[in-house]
Amino acid sequence: MLNKLKDRDSLILVGSVFCLALILWLLALPLSWVPAPIGPAAHQFADAAITTIELTIWSGILGILLGVVAAIGKLSPIPPVRWIADLYVWVIRGTPLLLQILFFYGLSNTAPQLQAPEFWIGVIALSLNVGAYNAEVIRAGINAVARGQVEAARSLGLNSMYTFWDVVLPQAVRISLPPLANNLVALLKDSSLAYTIGVVELTMIYTRVQAESFQPVPVSITTGLVYLVLTTTFTQFASALERKLATGKR
Amino acid sequence: MRDGKPIITVEQVRKSWGAFTALKDVSITFREGEVVCIIGPSGSGKSTLLRTINRLEKQDTGRIVVDGIELDNDLKHIDAVRAEVGMVFQSFNLFSHKTVLDNITLAPRRVRKWSKEKATQVAFELLERVGLSAHAHKYPAQLSGGQQQRVAIARALAMQPKIMLFDEPTSALDPEMVNEVLLVMRDLAKSGMTMLVVTHEMGFAREVADRVIFFDHGNIVEESDNPQQFFSNPSHPRAQAFLSQIKHAS
Repeated sequence: MLNKLKDRDSLILVGSVFCLALILWLLALPLSWVPAPIGPAAHQFADAAITTIELTIWSGILGILLGVVAAIGKLSPIPPVRWIADLYVWVIRGTPLLLQILFFYGLSNTAPQLQAPEFWIGVIALSLNVGAYNAEVIRAGINAVARGQVEAARSLGLNSMYTFWDVVLPQAVRISLPPLANNLVALLKDSSLAYTIGVVELTMIYTRVQAESFQPVPVSITTGLVYLVLTTTFTQFASALERKLATGKR
Repeated sequence: MRDGKPIITVEQVRKSWGAFTALKDVSITFREGEVVCIIGPSGSGKSTLLRTINRLEKQDTGRIVVDGIELDNDLKHIDAVRAEVGMVFQSFNLFSHKTVLDNITLAPRRVRKWSKEKATQVAFELLERVGLSAHAHKYPAQLSGGQQQRVAIARALAMQPKIMLFDEPTSALDPEMVNEVLLVMRDLAKSGMTMLVVTHEMGFAREVADRVIFFDHGNIVEESDNPQQFFSNPSHPRAQAFLSQIKHAS
């Protein structure tokens, strides 16, 4: 039973990645069958969906790394390190994401050395944002690892670094995985705000197509459906991963 | 075994939490190859003594020397002592995200810098010894309590410690699993391992111990080189009361 279940989860894992690739590759096809104003813009939607996913994946990976670093910072025994981590999380969680994106866009325009493509400005702002939320989740996960696990590791002579990397962090990530997956899905939706600085992602295509056609309702429904398909593959992936990593728990 | 050279020296060790004093200037010496059972009511300080010997608790005052290494604030000394002293916990504390095999090989590979092959070979020898070689690739949660505790013993032994500490190793087990763990411990005692065992298993203590120590209110109130005599005729009134309670219960 256990093995069967694990195999099914592996299948969903591989399957959802495969599905996502397939969706991104073939999205233009079904959309082109839809009447105007959607059909003629099918390729724009398909390209924009790829950009949305790229934004999400880059920001998601960087956001996890930032989250781990900030969580370690928040739990650091060194007060200044803790203050910096606390300040980061406080500022990011206390201000609107839209403003953060506009801030980094504005910042990049203040000096030629800071110039960067809009896409990467979007990635920086989004990963800093999701990183702050991840930090709280991972910190809670680290605190939730049973004290006996650390004591067992220390009693075997493992130093604090090995104890953290080999014992605490893997278990903390497993505990944090469901909320981290939530953050990733939220990030996919939040990436829509990158349209304000000119990143050509799904929401940007919505504004363009509805401005040309003056039909906001069908265009927004189409855009929403594309987002739904993407978020659904993400949640399927996340819940299969969660079940798979929970193996040792059973 | 009573003539072995001293391997653990505890001098005037005191430990308190707020108003509660767990150890009141305890002094005792343990000798190489000795099996010492430490008994006494809950909260009498017996587990705390064990935990100060590998610095899971830091004594407030007093001195502890293990195998010639003084347990001061030098982290190198602490890690060196921990590598020589194995510990088995009441709640097993196996790493829940690692297989049985990985639980056992982690510390030897990281601390002793053994190759994967060597660590695996030693792990299988130990699993054979505790009768669990068929379970090497399972996760802790797939094993019974008794099996988990035997893995925990194998994990501690993999570091090839000179001393083994047992902190109520059978207290969390279902009655029918107590014996399988005691059998492994009995075997270990016969092999000449220096063992400090905090336990409520009076039969085990009587049969295996070279020395019995009775704790009450943070003090060693009775110490006997003759367990048979101690159990049939303890001299201290607190020990008499405690043993009669236990006999009454069983």
